[in-house]
Parts: sequence; C-alpha cells; structure tokens
Amino acid sequence: MTDLTDEQLLAQALAGNEDAFTALYRRRQGPIFRFALHMSGSWLIAEEVTQDVFMFLIQRGRDFDPSRAALGAYLFGVARNYVRRALERNYSETGLSSPLDDEAQSLTVNSDPGDGITRQQTSTAVWKAVLSLPEHYREAVVLCDLQELTYTDAAEALGCALGTIRSRLHRAHDMLSRKLQHSAAAPGISSVTARCLS
Amino acid sequence: MTCREFEHRATALTLWELSQAQDQQILDHAGGCQKCAAWLQQQRMLAATMQTLQARTAACAAGPDVERALLRVFRQGTSRPVQPEMAHRFTPIAMRLSRFFEVGAYVLVGAAIVVALFLGVRLLEQRSINVPVKSQVEQPSVTVPSVVADKSESQPHPPLPTVSRNNVNRSPTRRVQSARMSSPDTTEPSQTIPDADADYVALMFCDPLSCSSDAQVVRMELPSPGIAASGGEQDAQMRIADVVVGYDGVVRAVRIVN
Repeated sequence: MTDLTDEQLLAQALAGNEDAFTALYRRRQGPIFRFALHMSGSWLIAEEVTQDVFMFLIQRGRDFDPSRAALGAYLFGVARNYVRRALERNYSETGLSSPLDDEAQSLTVNSDPGDGITRQQTSTAVWKAVLSLPEHYREAVVLCDLQELTYTDAAEALGCALGTIRSRLHRAHDMLSRKLQHSAAAPGISSVTARCLS
Repeated sequence: MTCREFEHRATALTLWELSQAQDQQILDHAGGCQKCAAWLQQQRMLAATMQTLQARTAACAAGPDVERALLRVFRQGTSRPVQPEMAHRFTPIAMRLSRFFEVGAYVLVGAAIVVALFLGVRLLEQRSINVPVKSQVEQPSVTVPSVVADKSESQPHPPLPTVSRNNVNRSPTRRVQSARMSSPDTTEPSQTIPDADADYVALMFCDPLSCSSDAQVVRMELPSPGIAASGGEQDAQMRIADVVVGYDGVVRAVRIVN
C-alpha cells in the first residue's frame, strides 16, 4: 500500500478496501491535523476537523477529480472549509488557546532545559502571531511556511491564483515580522531567534 | 539587479528557500544593498522562528479515537457495494424518524380535513332540516300547552305549566299593533293571535316580546272586579287566567280561561 499514490489509495478505498483507506488516512491525517491545529490553535478543533475531512472523503470521495488538483491539496481545501466552520462556531469558546502549553510540551526533546523553555516561549509567540493574522494570510502562512506546500499546491488548496499566494505571503511575512519584533521584548525570544540564526 | 528585481525574485521563493539563500544573484544584491540585506535578514529570522513552531508541532497528529471512529464508519459504509444512494446509509436515525413523523403529520392533517368536511356536511344537513321548523316558529302564534289550551278540561287548578318562548313567540311589532287595536277586556282575537289562542289579549303599554327572550305562561287566579269591589266572597268568583310573562317579568298578555 505504501507505494501507491493517494489517488490510487482513494480509488481502492472507495471500492471498499479498508487497508487502502487506513493507509491513506495514516499518510494524510498528520498534515491535515497540523493544518487545522495551526489555523485554529485548538487541539479539539483539529481532531474534529480531521475526522470531518475523512468522513467527507468516505461519503463524497467520488466527487474528487484528479485532473483538477492533487488529493493532498483537495484535502487541505476541504479542511480549510471545516476549520472556518469550526472557528465560527467555537471561536468565542476556544479563543487563542495554545496546545503548546500542555499537550505539545512533551514533544520537545532538548538536552538543555533552559534552551527548551526559551524555544517553547518562541514557538508560542510565533503561534500567537500567526493566529492573530487575518484568515487568508494565515492560510497562506500555514500552508506554505508550516506545511511546506509549494505555491502551486497552496493555490490549488485555497482556490486562488499563484500570484495571490505570493502577494499574501509577502504581506503576511511583513506583518509577522512586525508582530514578532513587538513581542521580542519578551525574555528569551530574541536570544532564541539569534541562536537559530547562528 | 535592481531592488525591484530582487523583491520579485525573492518573493518567488518560499521562506525556506530564501533562508537557505542559495540564489547567488539574491545574495549578490543583498551584499551591495543595505535595505535588501536587512529585509533578507528579517526573512531569515522569520524562517528560524517559524521553524521552531514547525518542529514543535511536527509530531502532532489526531488521536487513535479518530481513526477508530472513521474505520467504524467506513465499515458501515462499505458493508454493501457502494451505491449512488450511499449517503442515505449515513442518515441518522433521528432523520428517519422525523420523516416518519412527517408522513404521520400529513396523514393526521388529511384525516382532520375529512372529519371537518363530514361534520360540515352534517351541520348543513341539520340546518336545512331546521329551516321549515323555524319558519313555523316564526309564525305569529301563541301555542299554549294542551293542558292550558284545552278549554273543555274542567280542572280548576291545573299545575302551572311552563312553556318555552317558542310556544308564545309572536312578531313584536304586529303584537303591539294588535294590542293597540284591541281593548283590554275584549276577547276578540287580534290579528296576530291565531285561532287556537284567540282569547289571549295583549296588554297595552308593555314592551313587545323579544324574539330572543324567553317567556312563560303562568296560570293564575283573578278576582272578579265586581265581587271584589262589593267585598263579597271571592272564592266562588275567582277566574282562572293564563298570563304571558316576558323575560323581564312584565306581563305581556292575558287570557281568561273560565
């Protein structure tokens, strides 16, 4: 199953092959989950969106047209819509809570405890800055900078032109830089940034 | 390379490509232009900070519950060959029940309409039957119960009957008219009183009987005016009379029985 493409796995899954569906899910659920996590800042929303995206794939997978976009970009597009819905529904409840403070804290593996704390502070500050971006800028940043999609795939996922992605990213980077400069007064962030650069 | 070309070329690269700075032309321009060098440095710092967040969440994934739930749905959805109507298989039970109740509601509404039509028809039939009866009632007649109207009966004090308004109902205007035309002491039947009750005399200066009001016929004893005036024995001279009492307690008509 590992050597099959996403589209082949989807075709087999829609034919009733559970192994193909499982392989496709395990291959794609991580990026989808992280996209929803970065967009919403909520672990619960991210899990909910991931489940909704693959439920959608089970029910409406036949609507996918491989000639229009890759399956990965298609799934990001579906996830984007579910994230929007979830944010409209839950934004007031979840706010800008960051799972980095609790769940993801255990993900940090660092020999230097002090370095780990400062990195955590930096990543939290970056995340807050990303979450404070307008939604269309945030989508571009999350897809291109955090998910490392190419501009073409991001344009397919967001349903916009390539130039639009570039201009949004350019603007979003400027906004992020300004936000991070403002938050650089917080202890540790500038030092970590400098250390990352060195 | 101008600053504009630098910007155009730099924005075509992703943040990671830009931070690695492998494009020699960009590096050359940044080496000679302080403003573009500062911008490039800013992008590198941004890439570094973004990398911390990316590394932090790289292992984040949905929990095993999500996979189990999805596989459960997948098995339910593919237990039969996939059909175009597969979406119906995921229809929640509540939706099916609501459809059932919807059909039930339609049936109930239809049944209610049928019952309403049936009752309406029955009501119209009853009204059509009542029309001739009503016309009979509206005739200006005074119908007195047989015990009152039967003159041949010689019961001196029969039980006082109570009759309904219908039995004494008359057209008010015609009754007043007849009352004015006839004298109080005459037994001549007025124009409005039918032959059977011709001996009823409408009293003057009384309000006409209202068609919607109830009236009662009361049998009572009247002293003879002559005997009463001379102070003689009254019992032998008593007269029995039927008095029509209106709904307001005012006597409207009187009939001397003996």
